[in-house]
Amino acid sequence: MTRELTITGESINEAALLAQRKMSSGMGAAIYFLGVVRESEGAGKISAIEYETFQKMAEHQFNLLFDEMEKRWPIESVRLVHRIGVVKVGELSLWAEITAPHRGEAFASCQWLIDEMKRVVPIWKNPLVKL
Amino acid sequence: MQISVHFYSYFKELTGCAETREELSDGATIADLFRQLSQKFPKLNAMKKSTLVAVGVEYQTWDYVLKNGDEVSLFPPVQGG
Repeated sequence: MTRELTITGESINEAALLAQRKMSSGMGAAIYFLGVVRESEGAGKISAIEYETFQKMAEHQFNLLFDEMEKRWPIESVRLVHRIGVVKVGELSLWAEITAPHRGEAFASCQWLIDEMKRVVPIWKNPLVKL
Repeated sequence: MQISVHFYSYFKELTGCAETREELSDGATIADLFRQLSQKFPKLNAMKKSTLVAVGVEYQTWDYVLKNGDEVSLFPPVQGG
């Protein structure tokens, strides 16, 4: 399984990521998930979320998750980009893509990855309230 | 032994700092470290149940026995995505 992980303060360029997709002839499914900053967090309106990370640990924890995915499903590739710093409402905070032979393992593994990321990868949100 | 401690997210506001150094006796655990930190930073104490702890880049439990030079990180539940 190939893996690409990027934790960045730069905007996520979805078009460029899609253009870089590589799939072998045995793969029948590619799915990707977008995380987008909503205009509300809890009860209040916000203008942005500031993401903070403990980057070295985040990279390690993501790689542990990728190791586990490789054991559980016949995935060919995983690519994940998580933005840190200030991300405005409507902008992408997360982009994750998985390619696999069939849709079942692609959907299941992507759902698992996002759920586990929210449980173990040290990234935190600080909503910036709209003035 | 000397232990360095890093705080993340709102734990930095609770303690007023991003990192500190603590002197502990040999055989001390993360629970002992947290007790010591709670005396220095009283607002931390209420967070104990939800606190996550790492040594280096690995999660650890309260009974982990610390070693001289360990880098401990304390932080609230994570929320990526």
